[in-house]
Amino acid sequence: MKDSEHNFEELQQLLKLKRHEVPPPGYFHNFSSNVIAGIRAEREVAAQARQVSGNWLTRLMSIFETRPGLVGGMATSLVLLLVGGVVVTDQSGSDSQNNIFTPNTIDSAQSSAPISQPSLSYASANSASSGGISISTNPAASLQPMSSLFGQPNPLFQPASFAPAQ
Amino acid sequence: MSMIMSEPITTTDDASEPVEELESELVQRSRNGDLSAYDELVKRYQQRIYATIYHMTSNHDDANDLAQDSFIKAFSALKSFKGGSSFYTWLYRIAVNKTINFLKQRKNKHHMSLNDLDFNAENDPDLVALVSHKTPQRDASLSELQKKLNEALLKLSEPHRMVVVLHDVQGQSHDEIAEIMGCNIGTVRSRLFYARQQLQGYLTEYIKPA
Repeated sequence: MKDSEHNFEELQQLLKLKRHEVPPPGYFHNFSSNVIAGIRAEREVAAQARQVSGNWLTRLMSIFETRPGLVGGMATSLVLLLVGGVVVTDQSGSDSQNNIFTPNTIDSAQSSAPISQPSLSYASANSASSGGISISTNPAASLQPMSSLFGQPNPLFQPASFAPAQ
Repeated sequence: MSMIMSEPITTTDDASEPVEELESELVQRSRNGDLSAYDELVKRYQQRIYATIYHMTSNHDDANDLAQDSFIKAFSALKSFKGGSSFYTWLYRIAVNKTINFLKQRKNKHHMSLNDLDFNAENDPDLVALVSHKTPQRDASLSELQKKLNEALLKLSEPHRMVVVLHDVQGQSHDEIAEIMGCNIGTVRSRLFYARQQLQGYLTEYIKPA
């Protein structure tokens, strides 16, 4: 390391030349005042920005103050929007509840079917009430065959036969 | 004007306590928005900050803008100055980061705008010894050497150039450089060694082989 430092002696002497590079005479006389002017300018810009944002709020408030009807109208429309939202949410909630088959609704569907007719499966009962679409959370019921929607023969569908077994 | 731009900085040992107290007072007053106190701080460090940036950019106009911006940014960031390091180390860090960012944006578009050499350069025995064997026209040779030296410095990467500038030109210690650049002393030493090797390679014309 010492050898290498010795080797760098001339380079370091050469680099001394950089210390003799000086800015134009009098350059530093105004340097600090320029910096202070820059700081003042930044402060002004920041103050103006604050004023602009303050003005925006002030203008809005003054509009509200001069036109109380506008405030009332805005408040009413906001309340209506809120109430409308609640009603729509409520309705869509009750619709989706109707589509869910609980054991009670299935039992009532079964009991209403005539005894002489072959008992409909849960799926066919459901399809009757929901436009042919089987809706059930019961895996056994959902496996039941259903009639074709487009008049095509359903390979899973087997017509019930009431002929006595031979 | 016989001012030498980048006199080696004597720190801590020579600094008497009252001076340090005065600086902390000035910093405190500046934090409270006192511009006259900050003006005093600017005057105290303007030459060193300008010189560091100038030696990094080799361009007076860029150095002027960056030095002013560094001081302005430092003022607006004074609230975040916790006093963990000295004010000047903190200020240096701002200037160094600003300069390195600027140079990265500028990439390889180096445009030199060199300052003139002061008249002391002609009488510096080290420099005289270096150039006297080249040509009897000393002035011409010095300005040529200045140009070559700046070109060679600009070939270094920013961190390597910064270490050479702070150590060999500004005369800062390894510890101070490590604190300013936010790296350890080992990194500073290795960067310095590598940068000197590179420079020596670029300036073989002016350096006698060992």
